[in-house]
Parts: sequence; structure tokens; C-alpha cells
Amino acid sequence: MKQITIVTESRRGLTADIAGLLAEEGINIETLDAEEVEGADVVTLTVDRYNRALAALRDGGYPAVTEDAMLVRIEDEPGALAKVAVRFKEADIPVRSIRIIRRRNGFGIVAISTERTEAAKELVRDLLIAE
Amino acid sequence: MLVTPYPLAPRGVFHYIVIQVNDSFLTEATSETVSLAPADRERLDRFYEHVVAQADTFVGYPCAGDFDYSELHRFLAFPLNNVGDPFDQCTYHLHTRAFEQEVLTWFAELMHAPDDEWWGYVTNGGTEGNLYGLYLARELYPEGMVYYSQDTHYSVSKNLRLLRMPHIMIRSRENGEIDYEDLRETLRIHRDVPPILFANIGTTMKEGHDDIGRFQAILRELAIPAHYIHCDAALCGMTLPFIPGAPVFDFRAGIDSLSISGHKFIGSPIPCGVVLARKAAVDRIARSIEYVGTLDTTITGSRNAIAPLYLWYAIRRWSREGFIARITTCLERADYTVQSFRQIGIEAWRNPHAITVVIPKPPTAVLEKWQIAVHEDCGHILVMPHITRAKIDELVADIVAARKEAA
Repeated sequence: MKQITIVTESRRGLTADIAGLLAEEGINIETLDAEEVEGADVVTLTVDRYNRALAALRDGGYPAVTEDAMLVRIEDEPGALAKVAVRFKEADIPVRSIRIIRRRNGFGIVAISTERTEAAKELVRDLLIAE
Repeated sequence: MLVTPYPLAPRGVFHYIVIQVNDSFLTEATSETVSLAPADRERLDRFYEHVVAQADTFVGYPCAGDFDYSELHRFLAFPLNNVGDPFDQCTYHLHTRAFEQEVLTWFAELMHAPDDEWWGYVTNGGTEGNLYGLYLARELYPEGMVYYSQDTHYSVSKNLRLLRMPHIMIRSRENGEIDYEDLRETLRIHRDVPPILFANIGTTMKEGHDDIGRFQAILRELAIPAHYIHCDAALCGMTLPFIPGAPVFDFRAGIDSLSISGHKFIGSPIPCGVVLARKAAVDRIARSIEYVGTLDTTITGSRNAIAPLYLWYAIRRWSREGFIARITTCLERADYTVQSFRQIGIEAWRNPHAITVVIPKPPTAVLEKWQIAVHEDCGHILVMPHITRAKIDELVADIVAARKEAA
């Protein structure tokens, strides 16, 4: 089951809005979890029609992260991301991309994509959001 | 039905031979005998009215709207095409390569590219120029890592994915410029991997300028000799060179390639731009692709031949003095814009040498009328040459009215 994660401004009714949006497109939600991380809502869901859901979320203005990337929470300060990157380097796990999703309240949420997702998750388990 | 182009084009009308295979006969149809249905004409007329109306509130995007290329309209009657390398010979004679070469030479001089050591072409816009720069970097440093700031245009992520280049996003400062400390620390960790630095010379939302001098200082400090620097100078490639005291970002600063848009500060009805790179680097990748039996150096094969005419016309018409006057006026009006917003209690600001005025996200009613780009909690006004003081006054009055309504 493929997973989609949405990081957006924390607000009431967000999960209902997402569920409504996907329902309009005829997409069934298999699982849905939400947690608040430093003022942001991180919504993790699995659906029956993955690509259709990604397109619907994009069109609805919800920034969606695919399961190829993992989300971590780091302090928003110079060099913080570099400290995470060094873990992958020392473990010899090639990084495909490191992308800042959001910075707020002194913390950042970052999407990381590597060649070996499971091994990479082990390396940054202490920082992971929405496993 | 097969349609093949008929050789010459008398009176600017391009003829086609229409071969109707089913009926086994040949007939000749021209644009004089085949015309649009009245309903289609009406649709075009309605669309024209829509475009005229929308152009009146076009204040949030970096595209000048004060151009007049009517002298060039006659060339639209021909299938012009600058296929392939603009400096190569071509058997397709309906092209504007001589004009394209003049345009490129003008930009190369403006960007202080070393004589006879540069190469470039007229692109379909900034994204293609950035794609070319990144492609060149990847061919030179296949194992390289791309670093770019959080405020970089979204199309760069798309390009990196297309080219399958590993990349790390670096924090931005509040003004949109890259965070040099974050860059330094990240480079320090990956110093054994050639860095490909993607510099923004004018970020999309705040027109922040990355400092190439600081890039070079960090590379020297970390003793990283093998590196590549590409500049995305979509808007500011045509503003900063004409502003006294503006930061240097061009080939004098040791960059390897840059991309400038033609439809932004210059203004054009067709998206276009220019990419310039060091010739030695281009020659190296040209050699590397010989095995595929082509030395095609441009991203696309068929290329827009009208855009070089527009750019040539604009730079001949304005000249450097004209562009200096143009940017000076825009900077004065940008100052006026900041003051006008501040007078009504809105905290507007702009970066030094920038014509982008950043404001808090305007009320919905204002966004419904005015074309203003917003990102998270801020919006921006691009004080392009067609934005007059009267237009700013009208926008400010609408914001005041919307706030009163909301209160």
C-alpha cells in the first residue's frame, strides 16, 4: 500500500476537507493519520488510487510528499541539515534529494529521498515524522 | 488527408497543397479560400477582449507589457526555424541565425563573457536556460551534487528530476537570499563531491540575489577546486547590469553559465530567453556525445526563430542607454510603491536594487481583481516598465477599500 504525506498549516477540519476532496474524485482512503508538528499538520494516508490521489491533492492546493521520501524534523539553524546529511554519507547511502518543506517556530520539516529508503529511515529514526 | 507546404509564399500568404487521398484528386487550398467559421471568429474576438481586460491588472508577474513589435508582424507569415546550433551552417534557409548571433554577442558583452570563449543560444525561456546549464554541469561532473536555496523557482526541482541529479536544498534568509552559513556547512560535509551551485540572481517572490563572491570565498575556504556555478538571472540579468553599484554576478565573478529571460524585463509576446556558457565546457560535452552521431548542442532541435528577431529589435531600439533609463524609472516607481503602501499602514519592502515590492498577502477581494502572485503569507508587486504611478495608486485605493469593507 503506497503512502502519501501532506504537510500544511494546522487548522480545524483539515482531515475532513482532504477526505471530501478525495471522495469527490472517487478515491477511497484506506488509512488516515494526522499529527501536529510545530504548528503544521502532517497527514499521512494510504489510498486505493495512488496517482489519482496525488493529482487531486496537487490540484486542491495540498503539498503532497510521495512515499519515496521520508520526512524528518530538524532545528531551523545553519548546518542542521548538513548534520543529517553526514549520517547518510558515513553510512554510504547516496542521497537523491533533500528538500525543505516548511520552516516555522524554530524547526524545519524536510523531505529526504535516498537510494535505500529503509536503511536511511533507520539512520534518522530519532528525527522521523509520520513513519 | 496529407498536407505538405507549397514552396514560396506570395504576398506573405503561406500556401498548402491539400492532397485528398480518399477522393483521389488534388486541389489547392490557401488561407484566402479556407477561412474560419463566424462562431470561431467571435470566439477569438471574445478572447481578445478578455486579454485586454486582464492586461489592465497585470501587476504581480515579471513581464513587461510596454512593447511594440508591429514592424515584425510580417515575418509571422513564414515558417521560420532556427533549427540546431545557432553558429552552424544549415540547409534550412528560412532562419534568423544572423540576428540570433547578434543578440547573443550583445548579451555576451553585457555579461562580460571572455571574447571567443563563450557559446549560447536563444531559448524558450528561463527554464530551458537553467535546464541547459544544469545539463552542462552534469555532463562535466556526473557525480556532482546540486545545491540551491529554498527560494529557488519550482521549475528547478523539475529540471533536477528530469536530469536525475542528486540535490540538497539550502535554507534561505528572510530576504530570499541563500543562507551562506548553511551552504558552507553542507559543502564541508560533501567536499569530496564536486558541487554544482545553482545561484538565484533574483528569486521569484522577493528578488533576493545570491552573492557569487561569497560562493567563491566558501569554495576557496574549503579548498574545493572542481565546481560549477550556474546563475538563474531570469529577471535581473536585464536589470542589475544597468544599475550603478549593483552586485556582479556574471562571467567576471567566475560563473560557468547563466540564463536570462527575454520576455521579462525586455518584454516579448512569446516567452524567450538566452543561455550563455563557457565554450570550453560546451566543447567538452559536444565531444562526449559524438558517439550518437550528432553534435546537436541545443536542448530542442527546431527552435523559435521569431524570438531572436524580437530580442534583436528590442536591443537595437533601446540600446544600453535606453535600458538604463528604463530600470531607473522602475526603481523610482518601486520606491513610490513601498512608500504608498507604508502610508496606509502596510509593511512593504524591497531588496536593494530590486523592483519587486513584497507586501503581506492582500485581501481576497483584491486578489480577485488584481493579478498578484502570493506565497504563504506574502504577495508581491513587480514594478515592471508598464506599471505607472497611477496604476499603483489604483491598487492601493482598492486595498484601502477592501480593508474598510472587511472592517
